[in-house]
Amino acid sequence: MTNRPIFSKSIRTALMASSVALLALGAQAETLTVMQSEAPRSMDPADQTATFTQVVLAPMYEGLVGRNSDLAIVPLLATEWAPDDTGLVWTFQLRDGVTFHDGTPLDAAAVVASFERLLDPARGLAAAGRVAAVLESVEAVDDMTVSFTLIQPYAGFIDLLATAVGYIVSPTADAAGTLGTNAVGTGPFSFVEWQSGEHVTQTANPDYWGEMPTLEGLEFTWTSEPSVLSMAAQTGEADVVNPLPPIFAQTVEADPNLTLIDQPGSAMFWVSLNVLDEPLDHVAARQALNFATDRDALVSALRRGYAVAANSPLAPTNPAWDASLDPYPYDLDRARALLAEAGVPDGFSMSVAVQEPEAPIAEALQGMWSDIGVDLEVRRLESGVWVEAAFNDPEAKAEDGLSAVIASWSSGSFNSDLQFRPLYSTGAWAPGGANLGFFTSEALDAIIDEAAAELDEDARNALYVEAQRIVNQEAPHVLLYSNRDLAATSANVEGITMLPGGLILVANATKSN
Amino acid sequence: MQAYFVKKLLMLPLILLGVSFIVFVSIRALPGDPARLMAGPEATQQAVDDMRVRLGLEQPLPIQYAGFLMDAVRGDFGTSIRSQKPVSEELASRFGATMSLAAVAYFFATLIGVPAGMAAAVWKGRAPDQIVMIVAILGASVANFWLALIMMDYFAVQKGWLPLLGMGGPAHYVLPSITLGLLPMALVARMTRSSMIETLEQDYIRTARAKGLGAFRVYRRHALRNAMIPIVTIIGLNFGGVVGSTVVTETIFNWPGIGRLLVDAVRFRDYPIIQGVTLLAVVSVVVVNFLADLLISVLDPRVRFG
Repeated sequence: MTNRPIFSKSIRTALMASSVALLALGAQAETLTVMQSEAPRSMDPADQTATFTQVVLAPMYEGLVGRNSDLAIVPLLATEWAPDDTGLVWTFQLRDGVTFHDGTPLDAAAVVASFERLLDPARGLAAAGRVAAVLESVEAVDDMTVSFTLIQPYAGFIDLLATAVGYIVSPTADAAGTLGTNAVGTGPFSFVEWQSGEHVTQTANPDYWGEMPTLEGLEFTWTSEPSVLSMAAQTGEADVVNPLPPIFAQTVEADPNLTLIDQPGSAMFWVSLNVLDEPLDHVAARQALNFATDRDALVSALRRGYAVAANSPLAPTNPAWDASLDPYPYDLDRARALLAEAGVPDGFSMSVAVQEPEAPIAEALQGMWSDIGVDLEVRRLESGVWVEAAFNDPEAKAEDGLSAVIASWSSGSFNSDLQFRPLYSTGAWAPGGANLGFFTSEALDAIIDEAAAELDEDARNALYVEAQRIVNQEAPHVLLYSNRDLAATSANVEGITMLPGGLILVANATKSN
Repeated sequence: MQAYFVKKLLMLPLILLGVSFIVFVSIRALPGDPARLMAGPEATQQAVDDMRVRLGLEQPLPIQYAGFLMDAVRGDFGTSIRSQKPVSEELASRFGATMSLAAVAYFFATLIGVPAGMAAAVWKGRAPDQIVMIVAILGASVANFWLALIMMDYFAVQKGWLPLLGMGGPAHYVLPSITLGLLPMALVARMTRSSMIETLEQDYIRTARAKGLGAFRVYRRHALRNAMIPIVTIIGLNFGGVVGSTVVTETIFNWPGIGRLLVDAVRFRDYPIIQGVTLLAVVSVVVVNFLADLLISVLDPRVRFG
C-alpha cells in the first residue's frame, strides 16, 4: 500500500512537467503550427508538383506574379509586364532592392537561371514539363528586365507563373545543388530546418521587401492518419490542419475553439474508362455508366455534403465552368437502354484500380452499377502500385485486364488548359500524360489547341464550354464530384487564405493569445 | 562458450549480406517506379526517363547492387531519393528516438509483466490469475493502432492529460510506450506465469520451503531466477516484433523514429532509405538477441551454447 502514493505522485510530477512544457510553448505563441496529410517532397519548388508541398514552400518563395486572397493576379517580384503583339514574347520589369535569403540580389540573371534550369532536360526536375511545354527561351534584356519567348501564344502563361513552378530560386543555392533540401527564396519567411520525418521550420525574414509578417515563425508537420489531423486541431497541437477530412467538419464547426475553412475547391474526382476495352469502346456503354451513377448520393455519403456533384470536367471554381450543363441525371432506365444500344443489355464485367483513400468511391459505384447488371471488380492498390497500374500504356493495361481507374485531378490553377490537355488530349495518353483511358477526339484536340492560344478571356472560355460539352457527350470519364476544400484552424488564428485545390497561404496569418 | 559468441559475431556480416540482397531484390520487385513517383503524374515519359537517370536507376540491377555493396562497406548507404540527404544522416537522427521508445516500452513491459505473471502463477486458478490472463489475452490480441487512437482521443483530446503527438518530455512517452509495450507485456506475463508454474512444481522448491524459507524469498530467489531463462528468451525473440510495431506506433504518434521514416520511404519507393532502415533494424535485432543469449548464460552458468 505504501507504494501507491509514490506512484501517483510521480504521475503528477510528469503531468506538471508536461504542463510546464505547454506554458513554455504559450510564451512563443507567435509560431504557427500547420499539420497536413502528407510530407513535403522537396524544398525545390521545381522538383515537385504536390499541393501540400507548395503550402510549405509558399511562405519562402515568390514568383514574378502571385495571387491574392481574392484570387486576382498581383505583382510580386515583377512590378509590371506585358506581351508583345504576337503574344509570343512577354517582358517583365523586376522589383528593385530585393535579395534572396542568402544575400544574393534578385536581378534578371537570377530569373533567367531560375527558368533555364527547367528547360534543361539533364536536370530532370519534376515540374519541368509544365514550363518546357510552353517556354522556348528566357533572356535578360537588361539588369532588371527579363523577356520570355513562348513556343506558341499561351493564354495560361501568367497563371503558370503564379504557381510553384514559377517561384524564383536563388541562383547561388541552385548552383550549390542544395536547393532540394534547403529552400532559398525571397519570401517573408526563410528556411530554418527540414527534418524529413518530422517538420519544416521557418522564421520571419527581417530583410523582407514587402510588408513584414506578424508571425515569428512557422512549423509544418504532417500525419498520414486522418483522425490524428482532427485530434491535433482539437488539442491545439496544430494551429492549422489541412485538409480536414469531411467526417470531422461538423465536429470542428461545433467547437468554439476552432474555425472551419470551407470553400469550393478545384479537385475533380472521376473514373477514367479505358476506351480501348470492350464494351467501353462503345460510347453508349460509357454513357450508361454515367446515367447509373447517383452523384448526389456519393456527395452526401462520402463527403458529408462537402462536395459538388460534377456536371462537367471543370469544377465550379474554374472561370470557364458552365452551370447550365446537366448531362447525366441519375436515370437507370436510360442507362439500361444505352446498354442495350451498346450490345450488352444484361450488363458486363469490368475492373477498376483505386487507392485506399478513394476505395469507398469504388465500393459505392460497385453497388450502384450492379443495378444495371455491371459487375465491378474493385482493385484496391497501395499508392505506388496504383500509379504504375494507372499509368500503364495500352498494351500493359490490356494485359493487366484493367478497364478503369479512379483518380482526382486538380491543376492547382485557373487555367482550363491544365485540366483538359493532360486528361483528354490524344498527346497525353498514359504513360506520358494522365489520359489514362486513351480517349481520342480530333474535335477536342483542336479546341484545346485553339483555346490555349486565344488570349481573349471571354472567347477562350466559350471554347472551353464547347470542350466541356464534348467531354460530357463522349464520356471518357464518369465524372463524380469536385471537393469543397476543408481546413481547420484554432479560433485565435486569422488571415489564412485558401486557394482552390487545398492550397492554404499562411504567411500573412496572425495568431492572438 | 566464447567460441559461440565469436561465431555469432562473425555471422553478422553474412546475415547482413543475405538481408541486403533480399531487401534489394524484393523492393525492386514491387510494382511502383520511384522515377514516376518523383516526377509526378503530369510528367512526360521523357521527364520520367530523365528522372530515372538522375536517380541512377537506369543501370542494370546487378551493377546497382554491386555499387550499393561497395559503398555500404565504406559506411556509405547512399542518398535518400526524396530528401537528398545521406541515408546514414537520416538514420542517425532517428535511431535514438526509436530505441529510446522501445527501451521505455520494454522496461515497463518487464516491470509490469514479470510481477503480474508471478502473481498469476502463485495464485494459479484464482482471481489474480484470471485477471492477469484476461488482460494478457486482450493485450496480445488488440490491434495497437486502434488502441492508440482510443487512448489519444481520451487522454489527450478529451482529458488533456497527456500530449498527443511527437517526442518531448517524459509525458510524451506514455501513450506510445503503452501502445508499443502492450504486446511484449502480455507475452512476458504469460511466459512468466507458465515458467513459474513449472518451476514451482520442482523438487528443490519443495525442499526450499521445507527447510523453512519464507514464500516470498522462495519465489524471488529460487523460482524466479530459474524461470527467468525462458522469459529473457522471449523478450529477445520478440524484439524483432517490437521493432516492426514501431512502424505503426511512430506513424500514429508522429514519433521521429526509423519506423515513421520507413513508412514515408516505402510510399515514395525511396530505395536507399528502405535498405538503410531494414539493415539497421536487422543489426539491432541480432544485437539484442546476442545480448539475450549473453544474459541467459549469466543467469544460468550451466547453459552452454555450442
